[in-house]
Amino acid sequence: MPDWKQVVSQRMAQLNLPVDSEEEVVAELAAHLAETYDEARARGLVHDAAVALTLQEVRDWRVLANDISRAKLEDDLMTKRARTLWLPAMANLLAAMLLLMFMQRLGVQPRLLWVNAIEGKFALVFYIPWLIALPFFGAAGAYLSRLAQGGTFARLTAGLSPALVLIALICLIFPWGLLIDGLSLFRLVLFVGGLLTWGVLPACALLIGALPFLRQNTPSKGSGGENQHA
Amino acid sequence: MTKRIRSKITRGSGELAILSLLAEQPFYGFEIAKQIGERTNGALQFTLASLYPLLYEMEKRGWVEGHWQANDAGRDRRYYRLTTAGRRQLAPLREEWRAFFHALDSLAGVSHA
Repeated sequence: MPDWKQVVSQRMAQLNLPVDSEEEVVAELAAHLAETYDEARARGLVHDAAVALTLQEVRDWRVLANDISRAKLEDDLMTKRARTLWLPAMANLLAAMLLLMFMQRLGVQPRLLWVNAIEGKFALVFYIPWLIALPFFGAAGAYLSRLAQGGTFARLTAGLSPALVLIALICLIFPWGLLIDGLSLFRLVLFVGGLLTWGVLPACALLIGALPFLRQNTPSKGSGGENQHA
Repeated sequence: MTKRIRSKITRGSGELAILSLLAEQPFYGFEIAKQIGERTNGALQFTLASLYPLLYEMEKRGWVEGHWQANDAGRDRRYYRLTTAGRRQLAPLREEWRAFFHALDSLAGVSHA
């Protein structure tokens, strides 16, 4: 009898699954082929005819590999990404921005640091109470991502999401300013100043909170599922 | 478009067939294909290529659950059983198909059963 596991794994090179899952799929498909072959032999077919009949179970192995990868993974990946990255990141962003709005509504005054640039003066704006609160948001974002089994990248991104969005906004607005007023040293200093006060500084504050949650969990012992192949 | 509709009908009927079968007792993949083929006199036939993507999809949705079990000859088989979510899915699916056949019958005089 052919080694059906070998037959399947050779033909399913396109299978794009985690190792455990891939081994399980190969074992299951091989078992199915073995049964089909045995049944064909029991019906009196000679070896070659039984093998040929068995292989007719799959017309295109590449299509099958893609179908199985899609069936097992696609939604999982999307759901997992949403659970581990987008949801914690959005919750963190929303909470941090709401706090900032709330502080502004309450009349919390920012600290202004006036900077003399060559072509004029501009103020760096610091909402100190908001910056002090940011480590908690960084921690919450990273914690929520860890709770959903997110990896280090997802935890970090979820933790830093308010700063990342602000950096992205500043980087988007800057070229528009250049288009309208043209490049000047003053505009460049303004951009760097804005990036520091609204991007880098909040990112550092968020990172302080997120750091304790970035380490990978120690895998728990004896976590074998019931689906493990005996 | 026609191919897409046909694919949806095939898929839907496959899901209903598998869920109905597993509502009786757990079966492994080869047996599921065989049982469905025999009970429908070959009208519904699953090959390995059509069965497993559907089974894995249903497993991902939580309708069925697979577990490995060795038979007397020591051959490992992955048995599928219906979950509570799958059992809950069965009644509305049956109703959908009943309505579908009824509609088709009214339109084209195609009587089911």
